[in-house]
Amino acid sequence: MTGVQEIPPLPEPRTQNVFAGEVNARAKSVAAELALIERIRAGEKDLFTELVRPYQKMIYTVALSMVKNDCEAEDVSQEALFKAFKNLGQFRGECRFSTWIVQIAVNESRRRLRRKQKVTEESIDSGPENEEGDYVPIDLADWREIPSEALQRKELREALHRAISNLKPIYRDVLVLRDVQQFSVAETSEALKIGVPLVKTRLLRARLQVRDALAPGIDGSWNAGNLPYKRVRPF
Amino acid sequence: MADEKLIVEISCFEVWKHVSDYVDADVDPDLRERLELHFGRCKDCKAILDGTRNVVSLIGDEQAFEIPAGVSQRITTALERRIAEDR
Repeated sequence: MTGVQEIPPLPEPRTQNVFAGEVNARAKSVAAELALIERIRAGEKDLFTELVRPYQKMIYTVALSMVKNDCEAEDVSQEALFKAFKNLGQFRGECRFSTWIVQIAVNESRRRLRRKQKVTEESIDSGPENEEGDYVPIDLADWREIPSEALQRKELREALHRAISNLKPIYRDVLVLRDVQQFSVAETSEALKIGVPLVKTRLLRARLQVRDALAPGIDGSWNAGNLPYKRVRPF
Repeated sequence: MADEKLIVEISCFEVWKHVSDYVDADVDPDLRERLELHFGRCKDCKAILDGTRNVVSLIGDEQAFEIPAGVSQRITTALERRIAEDR
């Protein structure tokens, strides 16, 4: 190898809803990523930070959603990334690199939680709640369009974070991977080591519960248009 | 009538079970038709659908979750240090 080679551009980890025009670009990005991984394995270890830079936010968000503490999430992120570095040789390319690295972050977060004895058996996988049972929405508020600009409002962001944070871990983990990180259902299943049907069941509950939690704000405070809050309870 | 199609209605409870998959466009065409028929007639389930879509949209918005200032740099610095020490 002669001289320092250009670092190929890396893909953004958000890959849901790939449109036709993006398919080629994505394939090239994945190829560039795999090429970078090969260079690191061949000894260019300094390139590892470039490899994982696009995933830092993802790792941090996953960690934060699980350990619920900024400092600890930072520690978990550092540890997870270093473990990814140490174990890069085990990455076989059978799943996307983002899935693989998130698995490490999830495992590291769970390890921390277990160590702090904050995780009970129910919160790891199957809770006492019957997951096959029906979830009945609490509040049937009639949502109007919520513009993206509404997220610039601190209270909505905080309400959203609080709603996610209050979910049971089994639901929160699925929601964070699927809807925050934009993993596919299959990738979420792979990262969390649970079956696809369980991912879907938990995702449904998580989304409906977050919806219920945010519903009281639909009296106009989330909406720039100050539309009236319309509560409908047919039951 | 040869081109008339019978769409079997489903209950609100049944709709709620599938609303998340519907938002993800992960339902078969037959179920999709039944759900859409229901959403067209039931304002409550339509409200749940709209709310679920809004939740997915809000959570997926990049503005919703931001890494605090300085954290990214600290993570990178710590990682670089540990990689250097590992040699």
